[in-house]
Amino acid sequence: MTIWFQSLLFVGSLLFSILVIYMVKWGRLSIRYSFLWLTLGGSMLLLSIWPDLAKMLRALVQIEVVSNLIFVMLFCFVLLVLLILCAALTDCTDRLKRLTQVNALLEERIRQLEERDSSK
Amino acid sequence: MKVLVIIPCYNESENILAVVQRLTTLCPQVDYLVVNDCSSDNTLSILREHGIHHLNLPLNLGIGGGVQSGYLYAMEHDYDITVQMDGDGQHDPHFLQQVIAPVAEGKLDMCIGSRFIEKKGFQTSLMRRMGIRFLSGLIHLLTGERILDVTSGYRACNRQMTAYFARDYAQDYPEPEAIITALCNGFAVGEVAVEMEERQGGVSSIRAFKSISYMAKVSLALVIHRLGARRKGKRT
Repeated sequence: MTIWFQSLLFVGSLLFSILVIYMVKWGRLSIRYSFLWLTLGGSMLLLSIWPDLAKMLRALVQIEVVSNLIFVMLFCFVLLVLLILCAALTDCTDRLKRLTQVNALLEERIRQLEERDSSK
Repeated sequence: MKVLVIIPCYNESENILAVVQRLTTLCPQVDYLVVNDCSSDNTLSILREHGIHHLNLPLNLGIGGGVQSGYLYAMEHDYDITVQMDGDGQHDPHFLQQVIAPVAEGKLDMCIGSRFIEKKGFQTSLMRRMGIRFLSGLIHLLTGERILDVTSGYRACNRQMTAYFARDYAQDYPEPEAIITALCNGFAVGEVAVEMEERQGGVSSIRAFKSISYMAKVSLALVIHRLGARRKGKRT
């Protein structure tokens, strides 16, 4: 890896991590989901500072080329993000369902009270 | 004994008035609640026009969410027994007392009105019957209990079962899932013979029943429910 590319990766990872932190600060990203992205930013920072880490990992899992290892890791990360998003969506659907039900119950109660009131 | 009949409906403008009138004529002693699941036709205006007691869901939640709203209402208003009855006119109120009886006597926590015990009345298509038989076999395999009409939406529940369903009720294909969750949580589930009729009008919302995906999803849901739960002993 050239020093130019290493510097670019370092700056990019740093900016990415800062963006994630600011998104949390601006309320655009919850702490819960920021952890995953900060882990990615941190990993990229670590690899940019210490590129030999990728080579060590490659040797450990016995993959021919370092770039393949990076692709596999990124693919696994994206899969994990999708799974977490699906879980979050399920949670949101459940909450929305309960909100809808409670709204309908309250609307029915108001209607009954109004009918009772108008019949007096 | 306070009984609430929950009638979930979605786009049932052709049937809902007749269903309610038939119920109130034949069973005047029970309360009813129509749950309008954000129908896109004029079901809501029919309900309003005729002063039919209803809940109006502002979003379409599907059959599971609609029925669960009814269970929540039953909990809030302290009903002893809740009965689920379809809004398409398939369920005959003549059999209401038969469905309620085992629950009222404390023999069952949930009693399902089954069209396959005496095999009288409308028996549905061959494909559906095969699907129902498969799901019935799967539930038998997973729980050891034999329930014949696993997709019947004509069912009565006692207070405990109602409270459980108000908290946790399957959303997508709720009837078979509700049976397995009830059985896995130690509730007593059984059936009584009823006769059903063909839907009086409109179009069934479960056209997907014909598809393989329905069977696959329900089967998966049943297996997951069973895997996730250590079956509790029967409640006393």
